[in-house]
Amino acid sequence: MGTTSPDGTRNRLVRFCLLLGAITLFPWCDFATAGDGLEKVRKRGTLIWGADQEGGGPFVYPAEDDPNRLEGFEVELAQILAESLGVRSQFQQGQWDKLPDLLTRGDIDIVLNGYEWTPIRAERYGASIPYYIYELQLLGRQNDSTLKSWDDLFNPPDGKKKRVAILGGSAAQDYLEKFLGNRVEIANFDGVSDAMRAVELNADGIDANLQDLPIWTFYQGGFPQLTAIGDPVGRGFYVALTRKEDPELLQAINTAIFSALQDGRLRRVLAKYRMWNDTQSLRGLETNPQGCFVGMTTNTNENEAEAEQSYISVRGFSVVQQRGWLLVKAAGMTVVLAATAMPLAILIGLMMALFRLYGPWFLRIPATMYVELIRGTPLVLQLYVLFFLLPEIGITVNAFWAAVAGLALNYSAYEAEIYRAGLQAIPHGQMEAAQSLGFSQALALRRIIIPQATRIVIPPVTNDFIALFKDTAVCSVITVVELSKEYYIQARSTGAILELGLLTALLYLAMSYPLSLVAGRLEKRLMAEKRT
Amino acid sequence: MIQLKNIVKNYGQHEILRGVSLSVARGEVCVLLGPSGGGKSTLLRTINGLESFHSGEIQVDEIVLPAAGHSDREPALTRIRKRVGMVFQQFHLFPHRTVLQNVMEAPVHVLKQPKEQVRTLAKRLLDRVGLADKCDVYPGSLSGGQQQRVAIARTLAMKPEAILFDEPTSALDPRMTAEVTSVMSDLAKEGQTMIVVTHGLGFARAVGHQVHLLHAGQIAESGPPEMIFENPQTDVTKSFLSEIHQA
Repeated sequence: MGTTSPDGTRNRLVRFCLLLGAITLFPWCDFATAGDGLEKVRKRGTLIWGADQEGGGPFVYPAEDDPNRLEGFEVELAQILAESLGVRSQFQQGQWDKLPDLLTRGDIDIVLNGYEWTPIRAERYGASIPYYIYELQLLGRQNDSTLKSWDDLFNPPDGKKKRVAILGGSAAQDYLEKFLGNRVEIANFDGVSDAMRAVELNADGIDANLQDLPIWTFYQGGFPQLTAIGDPVGRGFYVALTRKEDPELLQAINTAIFSALQDGRLRRVLAKYRMWNDTQSLRGLETNPQGCFVGMTTNTNENEAEAEQSYISVRGFSVVQQRGWLLVKAAGMTVVLAATAMPLAILIGLMMALFRLYGPWFLRIPATMYVELIRGTPLVLQLYVLFFLLPEIGITVNAFWAAVAGLALNYSAYEAEIYRAGLQAIPHGQMEAAQSLGFSQALALRRIIIPQATRIVIPPVTNDFIALFKDTAVCSVITVVELSKEYYIQARSTGAILELGLLTALLYLAMSYPLSLVAGRLEKRLMAEKRT
Repeated sequence: MIQLKNIVKNYGQHEILRGVSLSVARGEVCVLLGPSGGGKSTLLRTINGLESFHSGEIQVDEIVLPAAGHSDREPALTRIRKRVGMVFQQFHLFPHRTVLQNVMEAPVHVLKQPKEQVRTLAKRLLDRVGLADKCDVYPGSLSGGQQQRVAIARTLAMKPEAILFDEPTSALDPRMTAEVTSVMSDLAKEGQTMIVVTHGLGFARAVGHQVHLLHAGQIAESGPPEMIFENPQTDVTKSFLSEIHQA
């Protein structure tokens, strides 16, 4: 100690080089991956699991009697998993196809939402042992005589290619593409119940739906005109996903699933949602308390009494009464998002317009590029980058502020162009008059030019404000639940598409119409200056 | 008080001003006459920097305004504009401010004078141009003559040592022209230094102390009005006057 040995110097040099390397690699480093996932879960006392309520039953959906409570076999499975880790389970809403991104970002500990095992997923994430073995069921209309078997799909009796609805990116899509290739036309849907509804209505000429069997079992009651065609096909596994860097957490999840299979807890949960079947029994893992294998456990009669009411569509006024206030609450989020983002957008937009019109080249050129870049890229992409890519360079923003920032950024480009037009519409003489009175350019802009331009831009800016209210819907890709997302969740879990849709439309109108009125009045008052 | 020394300005190949020199004494009413395109307005606007010039020099009292591109130009302009006011052909009142606010705007926000003091001054100035009853209306509802009188009051509120008038009556009909000319004559009587670009020969003759005739970017002739009008020396002046009289 006290003296610097040659080794010490070399160590410092090595450390310096490593640091340099780390800095160089900085943008590619993944900071969200700490590798101590299990420890963090235990310290926090909660297992945060990600799923999308919009996917609905039997996975995760708002309970029928209390829409604030979540139901679904994955809700109960999450409780089982959390319990065996000695923590509580905590749900995090996320758009289904973005759940793995949330995992990478570190917002959730596991993905638990009907994610099928695929080699690619297993390579990228920690994939648990399966908690369910799914199969795919072909569905068609009962009265459709041209589709009675899988054969009719291969060789349509009327010679017309069948149109088959599937959930985009699901196992059903892979199956169809692999085995039927171009013998059928594929139509991509976002929601599972939407696909079934499309078949029932023959919407867009859709003839059939290849659906996960548990979903069909759950929703069967809600679609009386649909029928199962042929036997289930395309067996696969639902697995929980963890970060690749959290093997301890993955091990703990595996242990929990295994023990829930062994002592029958998982069977009881699945049976409750009518999901237990021969395929699951064949795993043959369940033992009695003495450790004896219990044999085939296909008889689910013991559970029938407490079986969860499967999908019943709730319709009419009662559904509006019961779920309406949830939509009103979600509308509050829409208002807060729009009302926070728009002033920011106007401010940034005005600044960019001033840079472009009055700034020196080193402000003018970047401002022009900013406007072109932002205006030329979709909002959803900007939100995605803000939310999922910034954390990779060490900047983490929460969903709400990422949404506000994304909306403000996106709209600022449009406001910049509106303001540019508004500023250019002010006669040059106004600036000359101000300057001849001794105004500096900045003071003339602030006192004379901008106030007049603002009066000109009121109508187009109001227009954009109203558009922004509706564009907040895009924020659901980064887990923000606002009016549209809440509508999808509630409409899909109740089937009250029309009733809740009308309410949602009314709520949007209630937001935008007063805005038009206020803007109209403001405009009239300011225009009055020109006449009186 | 104001000296222009050999002012040159080009637009590309085209020479707008070809070395104009001019001097205006305190209390003088200097009138710039001449055919359209002769460079009168451009010359006037170089004095408070609304137009730049390529060579020469302008001096207002002790302030020296150099040609474009000179680093001393901006600070000199800031000082000149506080001393030299301007009245435009198209008035350029601020449409989003009332008449009173138009007059108060610059003293309050440029000179940072106390509002109440400026309000009293502004009302007095509006009274002087005969518009005391229009304080709270917006410029859009005034006639052209009334607007131009407000513009003059707005300029006077800065207590300028000199005022530049850029064809102040060209956008007005004869009756409104008379309103404005009478206000300008009163100012001249009170000893206000003024440089006036105009086509109004009557005004030049009655009020002007010195008349300069600009033609093709040069001063063709200078002198007191009676000399220019009664006894023009150059062909340019003669043909200009005869054209005006025929029109």
